[in-house]
Amino acid sequence: MSTEQKSTKDKAGKEHRMRTGRSLRRLGALALALTVAVTGCASNGAPAAEGGTRVFAADNGQITIPAKPKRVVATGYAVPALIEAGAPLVGISTWARGIPLMTPEDKATYDGLKKVAGEQAAETNYEAIANARPDLIVIGVPAPVLKDIDVNRLKAVAPVVAIGPTIPSAWRELSRKQADAAGALANFDRTQGEYKAKADQIAARYKAVLPQLKLGHVGAYGEVAKGNFQREFNGSWGTNIAQDVGANYYGEVKKKGGGSKDVSEYPSIEELPTAFAQADAITYSVKADGSVPPAVQYALDSPLWKNLPAVKAGKVYPFRYTEAATYKGAMMTLDAIDKAFAPLLAK
Amino acid sequence: MTVTRPRSTTATTAGTGVKRTTILVVALVVLGVVAVVSIGIGAHAVAPGEVLRALFAFDGSSDQTIVRDVRAPRAVLAIGVGAALGIAGALIQTLSRNPLAEPGILGVTAGAGFAVTLGSALGVAASQAGQLGLAVVGSVLAALLVYSVGRQSPLRLVLTGVALTAVLNGLTLGMRLMFPDVLDQYRFWSVGSLAGREQAPLLLPLVVIGVALAGALLLSRSLNAVALGETVAHTLGTNVARVRLSTLVLITALVGAATAVAGPILFVGLIVPHLARRLATGSVPWLLAYTMVMGPILLLVADVGSRVLLPTGEVPVAIVTAFLGAPVLIWAVRKYGVAAL
Repeated sequence: MSTEQKSTKDKAGKEHRMRTGRSLRRLGALALALTVAVTGCASNGAPAAEGGTRVFAADNGQITIPAKPKRVVATGYAVPALIEAGAPLVGISTWARGIPLMTPEDKATYDGLKKVAGEQAAETNYEAIANARPDLIVIGVPAPVLKDIDVNRLKAVAPVVAIGPTIPSAWRELSRKQADAAGALANFDRTQGEYKAKADQIAARYKAVLPQLKLGHVGAYGEVAKGNFQREFNGSWGTNIAQDVGANYYGEVKKKGGGSKDVSEYPSIEELPTAFAQADAITYSVKADGSVPPAVQYALDSPLWKNLPAVKAGKVYPFRYTEAATYKGAMMTLDAIDKAFAPLLAK
Repeated sequence: MTVTRPRSTTATTAGTGVKRTTILVVALVVLGVVAVVSIGIGAHAVAPGEVLRALFAFDGSSDQTIVRDVRAPRAVLAIGVGAALGIAGALIQTLSRNPLAEPGILGVTAGAGFAVTLGSALGVAASQAGQLGLAVVGSVLAALLVYSVGRQSPLRLVLTGVALTAVLNGLTLGMRLMFPDVLDQYRFWSVGSLAGREQAPLLLPLVVIGVALAGALLLSRSLNAVALGETVAHTLGTNVARVRLSTLVLITALVGAATAVAGPILFVGLIVPHLARRLATGSVPWLLAYTMVMGPILLLVADVGSRVLLPTGEVPVAIVTAFLGAPVLIWAVRKYGVAAL
């Protein structure tokens, strides 16, 4: 029985105790039936999950969820995480940005699943979610974006847990939490182990050269306005996976702005020489196909770029797959980083 | 028979001429000072000596590169775009005899925006050169359409421009909502800015602006007659239809080129002619001369502000002109009233 059904029954039970007349009891029973019908749980509800319920700590509070969910809907960052973890998905939002990071098997799973929401949180299709008859909904969007979703409407369908990204490097904990909520920790932990082994292996090879370097990174994530470039520090999109193999991006943002703005900033192009004056080497983000995003190309084409010590020394390395937010995707990033840094081993 | 002008009238005319020339010289000095400030101030502190060496003894250091390759082209761009938008505003206000008219009222800016959006949807607007070309084509096509429909009278021109602007903005909005990638590209283009344009091919648009500014000055005497009304202009021997067409061509060239290189920047074309008209005291040639200097002053000041307002990064200059322009316009109108056209 879902939480919604339980709470509705409790409510009706209280009403029942308050009323003594026979006709009123009938009225209460009728109200219960109507309420259940309106929420769609009675006629259209999911099969009750086995193994009872448990309380789960999410961004939206302490939520009672099925201990072993059977029909899960995932949106946002939870989509690739739960596909990789092999969660029992019955509906997902579209997640175009994650497609280049999917294995062929995961891509096939992604293509085969019913799409119940668009790329933006505001494109949530509530009817499609209700029709998927989930027993758990996992929303993987940042907390500020959560206001674009009518969570109360979704709660009428199934328990909702919101587990969204905070700072970019937090995908490790958040994707694990998402997998935990969906009851798919076993697969998740296996993939996590594979990632750690791979990262350790690469880190061992670069141990003599990489940790000694002061690195800078030019990114293209978020809104890079005209005349600015994105500088990423430790813990950001373009840097956090490289850190797992021993890379260190020096410095910190001038002013923390919360979330990804704690670990990256958008200075004017005039500040390019100051930003990377101490950098022994510079890395930059490229698209999955290897092409350079316009925001990065702007920095690379600047006459100021050519004056940087790292550029003059030829120590500039492009990274693909910097948007990875799952362990399988991050393994592709590790391979790309290994390939990019290979010249360091040759010298 | 010899007609002798009364001495007092001659003295008044001479006095007015000296006053107008003095104002122009002062404005040019202010423009020079603001241009120097624009080259000297930015997100990265550069010593005044380095600024001078960057301009006259360039050695390739980062500080000098910032001055010569980032700030100097930006200052030139601000001067060109400011003059273009100011003159375009003065031309459309004079032609339509409407003090509320601004360059975008003829649909030229909307045409540029629509073309950039369509180009983004078709995947041909990724580069700055691509966006620039699309904006020029869009502005020219919009102007041709407006002129072909509304050429009979200034009022019809303005109404056609307003209607076309509404239609094109609607289509642009629809495409932005349908294609998120288009929305991303358009969002950055749609907020006018002078930052990050130093790598774009600016020579051709600046030449177009220069030629159009010269054309506007050559046309100014005819516009002086048109400003008195169509009947009076005919009586004075002015070919009103030809002046109207020439003015529209100049406005299209000025706004199209300015919007292509910097994106839409509002208020400059509205406020600068307002401020200049009071000083010009009814003379269109002097109005255009003042506007040509005051437009760049406003845009340079706004651009310097856009660089120093935030601790990190910049505010697009179009936002600063709006914040700066709106209160100044309200203040001027409240204090002096609307200057007669």
